[in-house]
Amino acid sequence: MSRTVRKVLRETAGGRDAERVALKLEIKVEAIDYDKEGSVLRIRGKNTLENEHVKIGQFHTLELELQRPFVLRKKIWDSLALDVLRQASDPGASADLAVVLMQEGLANILLVGKSMTSTRSRIETSIPRKHGPAIAGYESALKKFFENVLQAFLKHVDFNVVRCAVIASPGFTKEQFHRHLMLEAERRQLRPIIENKSRIILVHTSSGYKHSLREVLDAPNVMSMIKDTKAAQEVRALKDFFNMLSNDPARACYGPKHVEIAHERMAVQTLLITDDLFRNSDVITRQKYVSLVNSVKNSGGTAHIFSSMHVSGEQLAQLTGIAAILRFPLPDLEDIEM
Amino acid sequence: MPRKVNYGLDYDDDYDDNYDEYDYRYEVDENAETPSQKETIKHSVWRCSICTYDNDETMSSCDICGVLHGPLLNNSIYDKKRTANIFDLKSSRVSSTVVGRDEAVKVSSMRSDSSNLSTEKGKHNRLDEINILKNIEVGPPAGSRTSDNCSASVPEGWLDHVDESSVAVNLRSSVKRSLSLMPKERNVMVDDSSSSRNGGEANSLTSNLENISFAAKSGHSNDANPGRANSRAQYKPEKWMLPEKAEHSLTQLNLAIVGHVDSGKSTLSGRLLHLLGRISQKEMHKYEKEAKLQGKGSFAYAWALDESAEERERGITMTVAVAYFDSKRYHVVVLDSPGHKDFVPNMITGATQADASILVIDASIGSFEAGMDGTKGQTREHAQLIRSFGVDQLIVAVNKMDAVDYSKERFDLIISQLGTFLCSCGFKDSSVSWIPLSAVENQNLVSAPSNFRLSWYHGPNLLDAIDSFQPPTREFSKPLIMPICDVIKSPSQGQVSACGKLEAGAVRSGSKVLVMPSATIATVRSLELDSQACPIGRAGDNIAVSLNGIDGNHVMAGGVLCHPDFPIAFAKHLELKVLVLDGATPILIGSQLEFHIHHAKEAARVARISSLLDSKTGKVAKKAPRCILAKQSAVVEVILQEAICVEEFSKCKALGRVFLRTLGRTVAVGIVTRIVEEQ
Repeated sequence: MSRTVRKVLRETAGGRDAERVALKLEIKVEAIDYDKEGSVLRIRGKNTLENEHVKIGQFHTLELELQRPFVLRKKIWDSLALDVLRQASDPGASADLAVVLMQEGLANILLVGKSMTSTRSRIETSIPRKHGPAIAGYESALKKFFENVLQAFLKHVDFNVVRCAVIASPGFTKEQFHRHLMLEAERRQLRPIIENKSRIILVHTSSGYKHSLREVLDAPNVMSMIKDTKAAQEVRALKDFFNMLSNDPARACYGPKHVEIAHERMAVQTLLITDDLFRNSDVITRQKYVSLVNSVKNSGGTAHIFSSMHVSGEQLAQLTGIAAILRFPLPDLEDIEM
Repeated sequence: MPRKVNYGLDYDDDYDDNYDEYDYRYEVDENAETPSQKETIKHSVWRCSICTYDNDETMSSCDICGVLHGPLLNNSIYDKKRTANIFDLKSSRVSSTVVGRDEAVKVSSMRSDSSNLSTEKGKHNRLDEINILKNIEVGPPAGSRTSDNCSASVPEGWLDHVDESSVAVNLRSSVKRSLSLMPKERNVMVDDSSSSRNGGEANSLTSNLENISFAAKSGHSNDANPGRANSRAQYKPEKWMLPEKAEHSLTQLNLAIVGHVDSGKSTLSGRLLHLLGRISQKEMHKYEKEAKLQGKGSFAYAWALDESAEERERGITMTVAVAYFDSKRYHVVVLDSPGHKDFVPNMITGATQADASILVIDASIGSFEAGMDGTKGQTREHAQLIRSFGVDQLIVAVNKMDAVDYSKERFDLIISQLGTFLCSCGFKDSSVSWIPLSAVENQNLVSAPSNFRLSWYHGPNLLDAIDSFQPPTREFSKPLIMPICDVIKSPSQGQVSACGKLEAGAVRSGSKVLVMPSATIATVRSLELDSQACPIGRAGDNIAVSLNGIDGNHVMAGGVLCHPDFPIAFAKHLELKVLVLDGATPILIGSQLEFHIHHAKEAARVARISSLLDSKTGKVAKKAPRCILAKQSAVVEVILQEAICVEEFSKCKALGRVFLRTLGRTVAVGIVTRIVEEQ
C-alpha cells in the first residue's frame, strides 16, 4: 500500500472527465517489474481496499521510488524474508565498488553493490596492431579508446556513493589507463578525480570480460576494503566449492536432487543456494528450500544465499542454482541421475 | 583426487589421432581425387553444343550448362545418409522451391543459363538454383543434373541427381517440412554403381564427408546476404590461383617463435634478420644507440621487432611482430610472439598462422626450470598450444648457451627433460631438432659455431634446420579464406587494409571478396607482401589486402575474408570436442571461459556437457557427466557472448581450432565439430 496517483474517470454533465487523483491504494501483488537503471520498482496488482474511486478488483500499478514510504503486508513471514528485510534496511553495509575491467580494445564498467552488480557501460573498439610505419595508428587508436573509457568513467562513477574505484586488466593496460586518467585530470582540472586519487586501486586480472570480476573481488587489497560485504563472502564460498570440486570431487555436489540426497544423509556442510530459487512462485518448492536452508543451519552447517545479480550468483545459477560442499565424500552420487 | 589412469599412449597422442583422423581421411581422398581428375581431363572430350565447353567423354551431361549428351543414362539414386547436422538456411528461399517439386524433369529445363537458374522459383528440381552459379569466373558446374526420369525407384520427394561432376543433392521427402536443404549437410556417401560415374566426378565431394549446401541465389552478385553456398567441391579454382609447377622460387613458410618470457625470442629474431641482411648496419646502430640511451643496451636486437614505445620501455614483446627473411628454400615469415603469461591471447593470434615453430629455451641455470614450471612457466603452455595448432615440426633452440659456458651436460639435461614433455604433447621425435646457440654471441645461427667450446656439437645450424623443414601442404584449390589478423585504416585515403595469412584459395587485385562478419562485399585494390606490392596472393602467403568499397568499421580483426559465393558461418552456439589440459580446474556447466579461435576471442559459457569421451578410443564413455576433469576429453556445447566467424574443423582446419582459457591459463584445446545455430 502506498500513495499513488490514479487517473479517475468521472461522469459529469458535459461528458466524461478524466482527472488525476492522489490516492492511497493497497494492491495484491501480481507482477513485478524492476528497472535497474532507473531504480524504479513497478508493482502491478488488484486493488484490495475499498476506495471511492477505485473498485475492488481493479488493476493498478504502483510505482515505488526512492524515498517514498510504503507498507508491505505478507501472510507468512519466513526467516529468510525477515533476513532480507533486515539487511536491506541496514544503511551501513552499502559497500559500493566501481570496477573498470579492461583489456586492449574492451572495457566494462561495473558497479558492485551490496546485493547486485550492475553493468554501467561497455566499450569495445578494435585496435590495430601493426608494426613499422603504421605504429602511429596504434597509439592514436589506443588514445581514443582511453578517452571513451574516461568519459564513461566520469559519467558513472560517483565518488560520493562508491567507496573506491578499481581499475583491473591483464598486462599493462591498467597502468596505461591510470596514467592517462591522471594526466587528463590534471589537464582538464577534473575535481572528482584529483580529490579521490587515493581511492583508485589497480588490480591484475586475466582478462577484461565480466567473469573476471571474481578475480577482482579476490585480490587482497580489494578484499580488505569489502570483506564485510556479501559480495566478497559469496565469491569466497564459490571459490571454495570449485576448489573442492577439483581436489576431491566426491565431496562436492550440485543440482537439487543430489543436494537433497546428500542432505538426507546429513552430509552437507556448506550449502550454496541462489535467491532465485526462493522467488519461485510455487509456494511448496519455496518452503522446501527454506526448510532445507534451516535444517542445514540447525545441523551445524552454513548456508550461503547468493544474490543472483552478482557475478558469483550468476555462475551458481548456471550450475542449477544449488550446490553443496559435503562433510564426507559420497562417491555414489556420481551414479545417480541428476 | 582425480583418478590416475594410465592411458598408455598419452592423451595428446590420441587426441591428435583424432585430429589426424580427420586430416588423413580428408587428405587421402583429396589426393586420390585430384590425380584422377587430372587424368580424366586428358581423355577425349566432347564439345557441348550450347555452351561450347569441352566435357570429358565419359560425362553424360555438360559440366557448365547441364545439357545432356547422348541418351539419358540411368543414374542410380543415391541414398544419402544424413547426419543430424541440419541448419537453417539464412535465405531459405529454397524451401519454396523444394516443396513444389516435380519428379519429371524436362531435359529442356536443364539447360538453364546461370542467370535463370536462381530466379525461377517455380522450377522443379531446380537444384540448379540452389547451386549457386553466378559468378562464372569461378565457373562451377551449373547444377547440371541429369535428373532421372528413368529412375523409377525415386521415392516420393527424393531427388537425386548426381551429376557426374556435381554434387549429390539430397532432399528428403520430408521436404514438406520447410527446410530440408540445409547448408552443411554432411553426408554424401554416394553409391557408386552408376556406369556413368567416372573419375570426372572426382572433384565432387561425394566421396568425402563434405557438405552440400545450397542456397537459392538470386543471381545478384552483390548480394550482401550470402545464402549458404554450394559445396566446396564445385568450386573450380582458376588457373591463376594455382601456383606454377616448375617454380624454382621459394615457398612461403610461416615460422612462429615461442617460448618462456625473456628466453631471447626477439633478440634471436633480430639477430637473424641482421645476419641475413634484412636490417642495415645503419639501422642496427640506431637501435643500439637508442637502446643504450634508455638503459636497455642488451635489448638492441630485440628492438628490431619490438617497435612500440611500450614494448621498448618495458623490454618485452606485447604483440606478435611480423618480419620476413629468406633462407635457401623458403621465404620465411617470422612471427615473434610474446612470452608473458598475460599476452598468451596475443600469442595465440600470432601462432594461428604458423606452419612450423621454434621454441626458444633459456639455458641458464634457474631460468629453464622456471620456464618448465607448471603454473608459472610458459614453456609448457606454449608447446601445448603450438601442437594444438597442428604444427608438428619444431626446432628447439637452446639459447643463452654462453651463460652456461656451452656445456654439453646442460644441453643434454634440457633435452632429456623437455624431450619427454614434447613427446607427451604429441611431437614426434623425428620432427623435433635440438639446436644449441647463443643469439647474443652469434653462435650457431647461420653458420657453424666458431667458439671452440661448442665444438662438441655437430648438427646443423639454425638456418639449415629451418631449411630442413618439410614444406607445408597448402589448399590452393579451395575457395578463398583469409582470417583477418589486423586492420589498418588510413583515413587520409579512406582505404582499409586487412592483414592476415591466406588459409585457402587465392586472391588478386580486382577480385571481389566478402567480408565477414559484416557480410559486405568489397573489391581488392592491391596486395602487399613484405612491404612490396604483389599481384597474386595464394594460400600460405601472409599479406595485407587493401580493400575498396567498404567502410572501415565493417572490417575488424577476428573477421574473415572469403569468396562471395562461399561465405563462412557466423554463430554463437557451437559444439566442440575438447581435451582438458593437465593441471586445469574442472569444467562444469555454466563455467565461464574465454574462447579463442583463429584471431577472434570472446567470452563463452559452457551450456551443456554432452558426453565424456574415452581418451583412447574416442568413443562416448559417459553421457551428460557432471564435470570434466583434467586430461579428459569431452563433447561440450558453448554459447558465446557475441557471434564469431567459425567453420567446422573438418572443413577448414584453421577456422576450426579453439582454445579455452580462464584465469590466465589455457584450460582446454579443441575443435569445432558442429555449429548448433547460425546467426
